[in-house]
Amino acid sequence: MKIVEKSDKKQVKKDREFKPNIVCFCCNWCSYAGADLAGVSRFQYPASIRIIRVMCSGRVEPAFILKSFKDNVDGVLVTGCHIGDCHYISGNEFTKDRFERLMKILKYLGLKDRFRLEWISASEGKKFAELVTTFTNQIKKLGPLNNI
Amino acid sequence: MSKSKNSSQKSQTDDLIGAALVIGGGIAGIQASLDLTEMGFKVFLVEKTPSIGGRMAQLDKTFPTNDCSLCILAPKMVEVFRNPNIKLMTYSEVIEVSGHAGHFFIKILKKPRYVDEDKCKGCGDCASKCPKIEAPNIFDMNLGRRKSIYIPFPQAVPPVYLIDSDMCLFLNKGVCRVCERICEAQAINFEQKPEEVQIEVGAIIVAIGFDMLASKLPDNWGYKYENVITSLEYERILCASGPFEGHVLRLSDEKEPHKIAFIQCAGSRDFHIGIPYCSSVCCMYTAKEAIITKEHSNSSECYIFRHDLRAYGKNFYEYTQRAQDEYGVKYFNSKISKIVEDPKTKDLIIKYEDLDDGKFHDLRANLVVLATPLVPSEDSEKVAKILGINVDKYKFFKEKTLYDKLSSEQEGIFLCGFCQGPLDIPETVADASGVANKVSTLLYLVRNTLLKEKVVSVPEKKINLEDEPCIGVMICHCGINIGKYVDVPQVLEYIKTLPNVTVAVDNLYSCSSDSQTRIKELIAEYDLNRFIVASCTPRTHEKLFQETCEEAGLNKYLFEMVNIRDQCSWVHMEQKVDGTKKAKDLIEMAVAKSRLLKPQKESKLSITPEALIIGGGISGLIATLNIAIQGFTTHLVEKESKLGGNLNNLYQIFPGYQKASEFLEPFVNKVKSHSNINIYLNSNITEIRGYIGNYDVIITTKGNKVNNIKVGIIIVATGANELIPETIYNYKKEKNVITQLELEQKLRKENIEWLDNIKSITFILCVNSRQKEGITYCSNICCTNALKNINILKKLKPDLALILIYRDLQMSKKGNEEFYRDSRKNALFLRYSLDKLPIISKTKNGKFNYKITLFEHNLKGEVEFYGDLIILATPMIAPENFKELSKMLKVPQDQSGFFLEAHVKLRPIDFATDGVFLCGCAHWPKNIQESIAQANGAAGRAIRILSAKEMKTSGLVAEVIEDYCIGCGKCADVCPYNAIELIEVEKTFEDYTLCLKKSNINSALCKGCGTCGVQCPNSAIFISHFSFKQINAMIKAYLKN
Ligand code: FES
Repeated sequence: MKIVEKSDKKQVKKDREFKPNIVCFCCNWCSYAGADLAGVSRFQYPASIRIIRVMCSGRVEPAFILKSFKDNVDGVLVTGCHIGDCHYISGNEFTKDRFERLMKILKYLGLKDRFRLEWISASEGKKFAELVTTFTNQIKKLGPLNNI
Repeated sequence: MSKSKNSSQKSQTDDLIGAALVIGGGIAGIQASLDLTEMGFKVFLVEKTPSIGGRMAQLDKTFPTNDCSLCILAPKMVEVFRNPNIKLMTYSEVIEVSGHAGHFFIKILKKPRYVDEDKCKGCGDCASKCPKIEAPNIFDMNLGRRKSIYIPFPQAVPPVYLIDSDMCLFLNKGVCRVCERICEAQAINFEQKPEEVQIEVGAIIVAIGFDMLASKLPDNWGYKYENVITSLEYERILCASGPFEGHVLRLSDEKEPHKIAFIQCAGSRDFHIGIPYCSSVCCMYTAKEAIITKEHSNSSECYIFRHDLRAYGKNFYEYTQRAQDEYGVKYFNSKISKIVEDPKTKDLIIKYEDLDDGKFHDLRANLVVLATPLVPSEDSEKVAKILGINVDKYKFFKEKTLYDKLSSEQEGIFLCGFCQGPLDIPETVADASGVANKVSTLLYLVRNTLLKEKVVSVPEKKINLEDEPCIGVMICHCGINIGKYVDVPQVLEYIKTLPNVTVAVDNLYSCSSDSQTRIKELIAEYDLNRFIVASCTPRTHEKLFQETCEEAGLNKYLFEMVNIRDQCSWVHMEQKVDGTKKAKDLIEMAVAKSRLLKPQKESKLSITPEALIIGGGISGLIATLNIAIQGFTTHLVEKESKLGGNLNNLYQIFPGYQKASEFLEPFVNKVKSHSNINIYLNSNITEIRGYIGNYDVIITTKGNKVNNIKVGIIIVATGANELIPETIYNYKKEKNVITQLELEQKLRKENIEWLDNIKSITFILCVNSRQKEGITYCSNICCTNALKNINILKKLKPDLALILIYRDLQMSKKGNEEFYRDSRKNALFLRYSLDKLPIISKTKNGKFNYKITLFEHNLKGEVEFYGDLIILATPMIAPENFKELSKMLKVPQDQSGFFLEAHVKLRPIDFATDGVFLCGCAHWPKNIQESIAQANGAAGRAIRILSAKEMKTSGLVAEVIEDYCIGCGKCADVCPYNAIELIEVEKTFEDYTLCLKKSNINSALCKGCGTCGVQCPNSAIFISHFSFKQINAMIKAYLKN
């Protein structure tokens, strides 16, 4: 009996530990495929992200990132094909521009470390898993957003 | 009379089979298969290994764009898999062929996988439990390991496991059967036997690719040493999903090599080992591998030992220069004598002669990568025998004629890709479309006779957007793949509580056929107007479920898929609590999106079955003929007064030495006499409006005659020009300094008196090309042309002194290396380098016109000689008028002015704008053989569209909400497909009318990427299926609790 109680407590403590909530945008062609490959290869990473699939990273509006933060998401990842690899020729170049500009706003708001733009190819399953792991750790260090 | 003709045509048709057999599932076979089905033919794709994908699937990146190879290939593989008109037969071989063109009988042997292809879900539980010691992984070039039950690589198609019968404990020793017990889908079947399948087809395409020769290399290349590997092995090492997960490690100690040496021509162009040809792609992939190595670790040192540098394609030469200038890759112009191992450190010592300083050196490297020869697949002779076709002396398949490399000598059997001779991926893809066209010209009478048309019996349900959403959810256990790591019952209970979820169920395998029936029943029983499946990845399965929904009368855009396997259970195997929470969130987010989904219409677009070909050179003629033969009216526009293009200026053509005029004649005559062809000479295109299937074109002929035509597709075959070297080598002043084309024109005159006074001719290659600035590229065809002319001249006047001054000799492709060695006897070959150009001065008195002074690069010394006539090999350039055409067609040019294709690797003859295609020198300088093959390809791409009576547009498009649009045009600026136009719209306010600019999106051209929607400052663009509201709802749903 006692043992059970103890482990329950442990569980409670573990549950209380901060688990970041992260939104991750993936484009349908490369980065989503990279995330799939992480799965097929069983590369483990924290269950902190929720992937939203879009056709191209060029679809991701900066407003989505601001909206996420407004809704208390602790971090946002935007991923797309490597520059030059975009399925729609140049979509990710616009993404890059847009998010460089958004970065300035995020800096001003003190949110810049909670956002990241990364290029992931369909064979970079490992990179995807590592990205989620390091980003999650980074957000953990920063703590929950509503604490700011 | 006519009656009997009709009936003979009928009986002809009776014997034709509207299907093709494609042997080989690499990129060549994949592209040919996809094109064929679009042209209206059924395809049997037979691949001997367990997965399609071929060599391209093994590559890490592709040159010269460094595109991830699998990223661009995998979608095509999936497309093949899902195509109802391609019967994919992997792990199978053709064993018998009989019959004739139009009607072949084929026997195929299907090897046992011991896994039921229909039942296997590709989960891999079997492999993880398989006890057998691991076997070398063939896909990883034997560098990695795999179990005896395995899938060749994670993205394999079909995504199905198989058992290696040589390795399996049960099959060999009669014990084990662990996989059988583990497999929840009960897919293991040890009873499987080899199976013979018989089919009938009208045509056969052979695309069996190549092998990499390594083990048979002579000892001096050192392949026996652990740290000497082939470039294909190195590709696997570089690849993020390769044996070292993309870490560059060497084999002896799995440490990162610091110094890496790449050896080009390691065995190719070696007459002693029987590989006299240039493998054609090594210069480029070596540069690529070095660049990627530097990207992995900037501190590593990369050395490339090269002989000639053959960087002849679009952006190739520039790429090799970037490797040196930007990445610091060091090239040695060298000859290797031997590679030996230092047994202590396992480093390699490369002993070589540096051709730049003429001395012998040693270089120590930690890893050596050999660009070993690419040779015909080991099966080539066997396959040739079965098919009754011939191989050439290298064991590549023998083409019908020098100018028709896509046909074998046997009618009805066509050749495609590397099995006919060395070439790179874009050429392979263009050839694949070309052979598809060849099949189509043979079988066009029976087009669409064997295709499976999808018939949907249930009419589409009317959805009122105001109606309450009634959502059905199916959550998949995927055997234990999801169920073991995610608490599915708990998720299910939760999802049932969500608003608008009418019904939620779980099941073992959502992709099985009984599940499709279940989905249809649910939709009918609960009158659902939305459906969600939470299972694996939409990349492979969305289409299946969408089809199921359609069959139940639900618009397919009302379906949504959630990935709780690849992106949840499989990556959180130790986090059941969090993984379960994540699954709940993901489905809840999908429910939130689903509520806002709208049915999307796929509108049908009619197609004008007529074609416009711009340019009447050899490419244009071939494209025109091929389309006209298949029954489509074809308009051929030529700006000159005569058809034939550049061939009108040539004397004899390479490599067959036929007279250009004689070669051209039959094509011109056929075009002129064909009743489906309208020729417009002395004409230009002055206006183009419209889009795929529906172009309105105005052709203006000299004297201002105007023709309005309507066409469905356009092929650009405008050719290219030879550069006139105004300022170089005193060309303008000296009448005895001429270009290659001018020489050809001299030769064309039957009378060769002009040669009488000429004792010595000097050819200078690479004039004004391959420079640091100005024209930076290699023009591909000048070297072979110069050698051809040297041989011609020598024959005309045997005592003529011929001197050829070159930098590198571009002799890639089958046969050219030998052609070059053979031509050596007819001229003196001297080498110069870019920093020391030859100097030509006029002699005052003497016997000769000019003195040529040259620093001979290999001899390291100055050489002086005399000549009467100087021939400048200047590059082909894009004519000025491309600009105008590019504007009219809304298609781009590359930095050299040639037309820019949609994708340099996989869409080499398409433009990004649908319905417009490209071939010949307008794309890039190329010889006659390549132009003809490419023209066939362009015709093939066009036939896909012309032969379909109508086209379906996708429902995944952007739509303008006119009231919000302020007409700023920002959306049009970012659209890569020219799908957006600003149009004027009249708006009436009470009693006055205004003319307003509004953005207008052509759904036939829109690809649904969504970039325009983000760019719009006024949120006036609705991106269907990924709308602002839908995505916001997903974000909101995530943390609502
Ligand atoms: S499709 Fe991946 S970024 Fe555009």
